[in-house]
Amino acid sequence: MPPIAQYVFNGVVTGGILALPAVAFSLLWRLLRFPNFAVSTYLTVGAYVALMLNHGVRASIEVAWIGALVVTGAVALLVDRVAFRPMRDRRPFSLAIASIGVAFVLENVVRFVWGNDFRSYDVSVTRATSVAGLLVGREQLLILGVAVVLMALAQTFLLRTRLGIAMRATADNPLLAAVKGVPTERVIAIATLGGGGLAGGAGVFLGLDASIDPVMGGGLIISVFAAAILGGIGSAPGALGGALIVGIMEEVGMLVVPPTYKTAIGFAIILAVLLMRPTGLAGARS
Amino acid sequence: MIAYLIAIATLVGVRALLTLGLNVQWGLTGLVNLGAVAFFAVGAYTSALLAVGGAPLVVAWPVAVGLATVAGAGLAMVALRLKEDYLAIVTLGFGEVLRLFLLNEAWLTRGANGVTAIPRPFHAQFTGHYDLFYLALVFVMVALVYVALERLRRSPFGRVLRAIREDETVAAVAGKPVFRFKVQAFALGAGIGGLAGILFAHYLAYVEPNMFLPQDSLFVWLALILGGSGNNRGALLGSVVLLGLLEGSRFAKDVIPFLTGVQLAAAQQILVGVVLVVLMIQRPDGLLPETPGSD
Repeated sequence: MPPIAQYVFNGVVTGGILALPAVAFSLLWRLLRFPNFAVSTYLTVGAYVALMLNHGVRASIEVAWIGALVVTGAVALLVDRVAFRPMRDRRPFSLAIASIGVAFVLENVVRFVWGNDFRSYDVSVTRATSVAGLLVGREQLLILGVAVVLMALAQTFLLRTRLGIAMRATADNPLLAAVKGVPTERVIAIATLGGGGLAGGAGVFLGLDASIDPVMGGGLIISVFAAAILGGIGSAPGALGGALIVGIMEEVGMLVVPPTYKTAIGFAIILAVLLMRPTGLAGARS
Repeated sequence: MIAYLIAIATLVGVRALLTLGLNVQWGLTGLVNLGAVAFFAVGAYTSALLAVGGAPLVVAWPVAVGLATVAGAGLAMVALRLKEDYLAIVTLGFGEVLRLFLLNEAWLTRGANGVTAIPRPFHAQFTGHYDLFYLALVFVMVALVYVALERLRRSPFGRVLRAIREDETVAAVAGKPVFRFKVQAFALGAGIGGLAGILFAHYLAYVEPNMFLPQDSLFVWLALILGGSGNNRGALLGSVVLLGLLEGSRFAKDVIPFLTGVQLAAAQQILVGVVLVVLMIQRPDGLLPETPGSD
């Protein structure tokens, strides 16, 4: 039996992967005011786009990763235009239901093309090295590094760039922002593109760390939700912290409950947070 | 062919009950429940396990409806304090965790093997035309629930529920204990879902955890939105159309033979998803919209 530190380390890697869709989910929720259940399915889309590039045209995993980022961002943008844009003024729950429908369509398009089999990328297998008694894979370190860099970039974008500031303004008060000349639809388009890209990239990471199958992303929705709620809706660093906590608790939790109950741990976190703060950790925003 | 139609009609009846249950929660009261399948499963498993354990059905069925109702009330008391967005994930998560429970706690639920040889009511008496008898049984149940819900909708209780749906602050100002009404409505819907589960389990004589996937909750939503939420007739119509859609696409196999089983199933699900999204955009009120002021 590996030491508990091994579980914590695996949890940190899982959390790093989870952080990307969690940030996308959290920011899009704050901006568009509905929980977009399709975000976790964008991981599946990204993973299979990379698989197509990696197996089909023999692209290296790095190139395939960039391809997944771009294509998934474009898919997210297309989904927004077709499904969500006509419903912008409707109550959040209608949009949430529509997003579940979208997730369902995307997952089954993947299933239609590739079937239900588990797949993996064509990458040279490197053995995990032992660092201070911990088994550490090269991919795991790479994934963690890239995830941290991406989170830092997202945060810098939100805090320092004109467009990032416009995005936060729209999230805070869409009407006021629009009156002040913020092009709302363009802000939404950029956020959707970026959020979809982050989730798509995370999907490739997940495919490298575990395996690729049609439910890989959709099955994470409860964990993504838990991370976003834990971090406070709309906060990028919050979502990162939330994702790390959820990742570590899900891995360490396997010492106590069978691995099949992984989803239940995320659910327990959601319940615990919401029972203490029924409006979520973000406070009493409506 | 006749046997097939009888089987389909029986399943339409089971789905109609599920949809009527959700209509009490969402259509009438405006309560989000993405875990409709959970109460369906509670009803199915409770009744199946009790009956297999030797309990007579006159005991097993009421206990199963009761447990589904209590489970609904319990979840409602926790979850209905939350904002709608959070309610969506909590109810969805509840359904999924319940499925994991059914899968893992084999000492109680027999795990992935499922419960087999569930007794079928009056099987000895109706040997020749058993399926026809069961169809009649399901239809009587649907009719009873439908009539009861129609009465409920027009009753003072139903009016309060609709008032809560439209504006719960106004209902509260008018002196209605909003939270209590919400919990009651949610529990009632869950109980009807439990009844649907009972009829399902004793019809198939077999249940296993993967009959209760999150997507099954989505199908109930689709039926309700398709038919017209808030309207019991709409809930019935939606259930018929949905099963027509699902079963109809099964015949696609004869038309497009080059598709594999997995592809066909995926195509069917894609169709369901697309219809749901298009409906949400184009016809959120469904085929039979609720007529305002129709007391």
